[in-house]
Amino acid sequence: MKKLLTAKWFIVLAVSLLLIAGIVLSFLPGSPLKAVVGLSSNAVSPAQKGVKATGNAFSDFWAAIADGIAIREENKTLKEEIADLKYRLNQYEEAAIRYEELKNAFHIRDTFSNYDIYGASILSREADEWFSVIRINAGKNEGIVLEQGQSYPVVDTEMNLVGRVIETQGSNSMVLPLLHEGFSASGKVNEVNGASVIVSGDAVLKKTGLCRVKAFGKAVKLEPGTVIVTSGEGGLFPDGIPIGTIVSVDYSNPTEVTATLRPFSSIGELEDVFVMIPFNADDKKEGVPETSETSAAPVQGGQG
Amino acid sequence: MDRRKLIRKIVVYAVYILLLSSLQVSYPNRLGFGGQTADLAFVFVVLTGYFNGFTDGAVVGLIMGLVRDCLAPIAIVGLDGNVHITAGIGMLVLFLTGVLSSAFFTKRMHKNIPFAFVSIAFCTLVYKLGGHFLAYSWTVIFRLAGGYDLGFYEIVVRSCLLQTLLNLIAGIPLILLWRFAGPVSMSEQKRTADDVIKSNEDTSWLQI
Repeated sequence: MKKLLTAKWFIVLAVSLLLIAGIVLSFLPGSPLKAVVGLSSNAVSPAQKGVKATGNAFSDFWAAIADGIAIREENKTLKEEIADLKYRLNQYEEAAIRYEELKNAFHIRDTFSNYDIYGASILSREADEWFSVIRINAGKNEGIVLEQGQSYPVVDTEMNLVGRVIETQGSNSMVLPLLHEGFSASGKVNEVNGASVIVSGDAVLKKTGLCRVKAFGKAVKLEPGTVIVTSGEGGLFPDGIPIGTIVSVDYSNPTEVTATLRPFSSIGELEDVFVMIPFNADDKKEGVPETSETSAAPVQGGQG
Repeated sequence: MDRRKLIRKIVVYAVYILLLSSLQVSYPNRLGFGGQTADLAFVFVVLTGYFNGFTDGAVVGLIMGLVRDCLAPIAIVGLDGNVHITAGIGMLVLFLTGVLSSAFFTKRMHKNIPFAFVSIAFCTLVYKLGGHFLAYSWTVIFRLAGGYDLGFYEIVVRSCLLQTLLNLIAGIPLILLWRFAGPVSMSEQKRTADDVIKSNEDTSWLQI
């Protein structure tokens, strides 16, 4: 018996079977292996943040040396731009006041007014072709609570679609990016009565940073350059979030037009994102501490 | 191995595991080409198994896999059609990688450095082909929406061969690091490896 327990093939088999059982169980809520991974994540995160910060500092330092002259020139130009922008800002502030007055007067509906928007930074990105979930530094502790079957949209600083939150932990969340083959969203052509489409990730296209678009019906007209936004159908994504532009279209199947889409959001270069949480979902949070001293906090409240 | 060397080995492993895993998920764009990313963590596990044997390969693979599951887990479309974050796949993959590399011609080649590249290429090909086979099986057997529409060219050239090439390139600095700042000094490693190979000659383990 002792010989069996110390045999390498037996160890490999036993560990593999245990891990496979753990993987299968990880599909269920409350999985013990997920708890272990969650705890380990808390231990590993500070180290990863440290490595990332060091890498960024080194990269910045190197850039400062390499680009010194260019930076001085750029600084001069930027100062001029700042002066110009300050002037424009004053004008826009005036315009914003006018907008608020008009909004109240004409009851203009703000598209995202029913959402709290939480800022977060990207902690880690995909490790390879398959390990491709993005981790952000906002989770349950910051008020992002995900119940079974729920998911929250994630957008970049320009409000372009990045993906959706599919799991939250203590102080971080997992985001399924737009390019992932498991991702799917209802979209429409960004026109009045624009045709409905389905935008989804694709295993082949994601390598070139593209998504698949499908549209049904002979009347659908898609062409390169067409802008696709979320349609609001399905209830997950609010109407009007920009997704991307059509790159190529295939009309070979007359009943199902397929196209490729380049997302507006450059996911590989993102540093900061925003999680959009609808007010009604937010209200469900029970026993969750208020937003604490963290980097994630609502940055824009809606009008309700 | 005396206590001082053991502590050194554990500390060096811990540093490499945290450093390489963190670099992997923090700067994938700088490590990538053509949609694939050089997998530093994977290559490190292969080298650990190849140079330091079964136990080190398996343990480092398990821990490296756990860190990977923490930092960049796999999301899979489940039978219910929803996407689920899994736990344990990274551990399983890197554990088996460590075990496989510890059995790959380590005896015949006496764990020499040039053959480590062959080990990296072999393990990467097994990983990629196995991954594609499992992904294909999962989507086809359970008839998941979307299917698995990768063609032969996509799988062989743009996935397997490209990843193998990137991992081989990543192997150059990692082997140098292993040689000059590895968890076990090279002379110690060579002596231990040869001792193990001689003493294991009559075992039925896969070691070739």
